[in-house]
Amino acid sequence: MADNGSVEEFLATAVDAAKKAGEVDLVTETDKACEDLVFNHLKQHYPSHKFIGEETTAANGASELTDEPTWIVDPLDGTTNFVHGFPFVCVSIGLTIGKVPTVGVVYNPIMDELFTGILGKGAFLNGSPIRVSSQTELVKSLLATEAGTKRDKSTLDASTNRINILLFKVRSLRMTGSCALNLCGIACGRLDLFYELGYGGPWDVAAGVLIVKEAGGLVYDPFGKDFDITVPQVAASNPSLKDAFLEALQH
Amino acid sequence: MADNGSVEEFLATAVDAAKKAGEIIRKGFYQTKHVEHKGQVDLVTETDKACEDLVFNHLKQHYPSHKFIGEETTAANGASELTDEPTWIVDPLDGTTNFVHGFPFVCVSIGLTIGKVPTVGVVYNPIMDELFTGILGKGAFLNGSPIRVSSQTELVKSLLATEAGTKRDKSTLDASTNRINILLFKVRSLRMTGSCALNLCGIACGRLDLFYELGYGGPWDVAAGVLIVKEAGGLVYDPFGKDFDITVPQVAASNPSLKDAFLEALQH
Repeated sequence: MADNGSVEEFLATAVDAAKKAGEVDLVTETDKACEDLVFNHLKQHYPSHKFIGEETTAANGASELTDEPTWIVDPLDGTTNFVHGFPFVCVSIGLTIGKVPTVGVVYNPIMDELFTGILGKGAFLNGSPIRVSSQTELVKSLLATEAGTKRDKSTLDASTNRINILLFKVRSLRMTGSCALNLCGIACGRLDLFYELGYGGPWDVAAGVLIVKEAGGLVYDPFGKDFDITVPQVAASNPSLKDAFLEALQH
Repeated sequence: MADNGSVEEFLATAVDAAKKAGEIIRKGFYQTKHVEHKGQVDLVTETDKACEDLVFNHLKQHYPSHKFIGEETTAANGASELTDEPTWIVDPLDGTTNFVHGFPFVCVSIGLTIGKVPTVGVVYNPIMDELFTGILGKGAFLNGSPIRVSSQTELVKSLLATEAGTKRDKSTLDASTNRINILLFKVRSLRMTGSCALNLCGIACGRLDLFYELGYGGPWDVAAGVLIVKEAGGLVYDPFGKDFDITVPQVAASNPSLKDAFLEALQH
């Protein structure tokens, strides 16, 4: 059928869509407009594929993730940054096949950084291969997490308590406001540790988790289970740091 | 005398020095670094030292009678007192942890005080190619275009920046995360990017609405940024309400509308 493409074709189409969304006048366009643009572009090429996007989910309710090829899209990750002009924003486009992340594109149009990956074929930043860091010691590691959007006392208290405990064990902490870009930061070795709880949905991670794995990293649930793309909690690091990181997160 | 220049000349010379140091930083950014520890998590590299030498030599050639205060020479020789003499206050590489990890928030920070007043400021991020400049009374600029602080008036819609710092004793860390906890109930969100000078520039160009940091390394982290914030229409103050003192390592910055609410939130 016309839309059984190769994974390389899927990637190229997704990159086109991401770049078009990146060119959109971000001062006047909304998340919804970028999502329409990306979905229309992908639907033209692959009409039988499924689509899960942050804005359509907000409007219509959650779609179930099936084995069908499914594009999982955050048209603008880092919306707070976008509103404030802080340059960590991106389009995130992931493709799952059989529920497995297979293609990933994360594009920051402000810093012009295009992260890509295909299952089994490596991860790249602007076409150059990237690799997770080789850091083995927690105390020399750079940790990223986010403040999140929940402002109830029990969530915030748990969040800052966890940060307090971790600060005794790591080199330093970064909070940049984009989950997808944090995953890409792990993939290209700028960050050594990342975790986030309670982000919006699978669209925040669908591309990034593939890129991390293709860069030699691991993606896991912060509380030790296997990572589940439908549950909004994620941790990532190189393989050497995983055990120490999970132990530090367990407190 | 040969080195009584105009403030515009002082700025141009500082920009040259910053760009040359930026080249060194850019080249070293993607390579393996040899890292020394000044503390458990406070780092220094050969690049810090090479950039400081380069910047000081460049400035000394033009202005041999001016004074110099730099992070690395202070570490080696002890603190110099800040006098009324024209004094260049330099952090050759602010964001050393970021540099070591390849995280793109690094900069050269060059400030000039005259009569102890910040008069010229240059902050250059060579990875993102962003040059922030300011001259007292003559405005603040990013890559030549004028910049202005945000017009945000509400704390709850404000983007706050601070840093984890380098101290790892329990009382400092507990106070730090308690403060962050209290502030998170009151602001839109929190950013930690690892460069004090770039945080000040973020306030100046409106990307950030609120910034405070306690216990950073020294006046070199802020000498340029505070001038740029003020020239962009912002305020710089002590986080506990007093006047800002460049020799005391604590700073807060915001647009004028947010100052009172911010100070109140910091007082808890």
